[in-house]
Amino acid sequence: MPGNKLITLAEAVGRYTRDGVQYASGAALPVGSDAVVFGRELLRQKRKNLHAIFHCNTQQLNLLAGAGAVDKAECGFSGLEVFGFANGLRRAVESGQTALEDYSNLAMALRLLGGAMNWPFVPATVNIGSDIQHRSAFAPDEYPATRKIPTVTDPFSGQEIGAFSPLKPDVAAIHVSLADPLGNAIMLGTEWSRFELSRAARKVILIADAIVDTDCMRQYPNLVRIPDIVVEAVVYHPFAAWPQSSPGLYDVDEAHMKFMNKSLSTVEGTANYVLDYVESYNDIDSYLDLIGRDNIERLSNSATSFLLDPYRKWIKTPAEIAALTAEVTA
Amino acid sequence: MSTLPYSRQEMMAIATGRELRDGELAIFGVGLSMLAGYFAQAHHAPNIRAMTEGGVYGATPVGGLPWGIECNRISANATSFTNAIDALGFLVASGRCDVGIIGAAQVDKFGNVNTTGIWDGEIGETYRLPKTRLTGAGGANDIACGAGRVVIMVTHEPKRFADKVSYISSPGYLDGGNARDQFGFVGGGPSAIVTTLGILRPDPVSKEFILDAYYAFSSVDEIRAATGWDLKVSPTVHVVPEPSLEELAALRRVDETGALRI
Repeated sequence: MPGNKLITLAEAVGRYTRDGVQYASGAALPVGSDAVVFGRELLRQKRKNLHAIFHCNTQQLNLLAGAGAVDKAECGFSGLEVFGFANGLRRAVESGQTALEDYSNLAMALRLLGGAMNWPFVPATVNIGSDIQHRSAFAPDEYPATRKIPTVTDPFSGQEIGAFSPLKPDVAAIHVSLADPLGNAIMLGTEWSRFELSRAARKVILIADAIVDTDCMRQYPNLVRIPDIVVEAVVYHPFAAWPQSSPGLYDVDEAHMKFMNKSLSTVEGTANYVLDYVESYNDIDSYLDLIGRDNIERLSNSATSFLLDPYRKWIKTPAEIAALTAEVTA
Repeated sequence: MSTLPYSRQEMMAIATGRELRDGELAIFGVGLSMLAGYFAQAHHAPNIRAMTEGGVYGATPVGGLPWGIECNRISANATSFTNAIDALGFLVASGRCDVGIIGAAQVDKFGNVNTTGIWDGEIGETYRLPKTRLTGAGGANDIACGAGRVVIMVTHEPKRFADKVSYISSPGYLDGGNARDQFGFVGGGPSAIVTTLGILRPDPVSKEFILDAYYAFSSVDEIRAATGWDLKVSPTVHVVPEPSLEELAALRRVDETGALRI
């Protein structure tokens, strides 16, 4: 089938990432839609020295940084919201393993917009005047920092403002609720900055909880905020955001969120977590077994389940998806 | 032993909620500030236009305190899902947003907020590693720059109330006076710091925060002792009315999982 871009998770990581890559993910805030399973696969394939661009930290960055795979990171919010501090990222920052460059949440979205537009810079009316502007983890000896958010003059008003540097990540793994095999995607819940990211990144890989027929996209074209023309590859992976939530599909796994974050607070805990929850499965079925079939049923019984109703009739079965994936690989 | 029929956190949330007026466009941060905001909506501000920076509109939380501003507890009855540039940009950086509620790990006498890290003493010329890394600014910097006014909600402890924060994550009045003017912020700055012990408001000229009110269970002396700078006391300092039964009932409907009662 022309244009079918379905490949496996392992193949996507193998083909599109390398050590030191500028890697963007963290699609929708710290406890929501994110391609957490892509981060697990990066560790399975021993990727390291990553430069992470995460609009907000998520359990994915928490895991990658906690496991020592991240040299540099750029973030807006770097915690886990009500789940507290991100212990893996925190440990990596406090030890000096990861240099974390701080911005605000609007700043990160604007920097992605700037990259998408190929602008030389983006005017900054926020972050200026605070230590986000004055302190740079990437240039720690420069104080006040002059290259992170340089001061520029608004040519119209004469007001001094700042300039944000645009972002064009090498590769982005973007979590979406629904994708078709061509790479058209629908996101349920806030899209956060996935729209901008999908245009800013040089290569975009979609990680979809469910695969639908293209007819679904033709029924709701207004909702397709990521069209196939900007997408390199599509990976089907149910519960890709686990233990985070995916509106319409599954809730936050509260117990595992806490367990995972507690594990990541120490070197030993992280090693055990990687052994038990990163390297322990071989395929989608064994990944779902690891989450627990009862747990999956409970998490899927979400107050948001109705959000998926309009799309259900187009959802493809695992067997259909396997056949489509085999076509691309063949 | 306290025999209050409400917790100090609940008093803080109610006092914060009283800062919001009906009909305002209001943005709430994650966690306790969200409970304070939705309390106001449930009690005295039914027409408040509430939003979170996640770009989730028209929603009220279900099942208790949302784990995040994007999680399913706040996505189950929304009327619109958009994005970060919309919420924090079009609606806050534009100057449209009337009021925001943010939290703080540390706050200083000019209302500057630190949520980035704790260093032993001043950072100095080189940006050295923090002793304790915190969560970063998130959207609070954008709200502090752009919202018409900002209410800072924070537990009142000496370590959290510093003469000068070691890192300004979100600007209050910076060095005080008209220091914000240099940056042209569309937002007016913090109008109150509401704590577990009382309410601080800025002096209109110096912008230094002074004690405006205390609670039925706290006192001026207790608050001054719990503040890391020489806290001035307003000549009109007064006691904050205790939560009414209606207020407590409304708050507890929102705080279904009892996050404020721990």
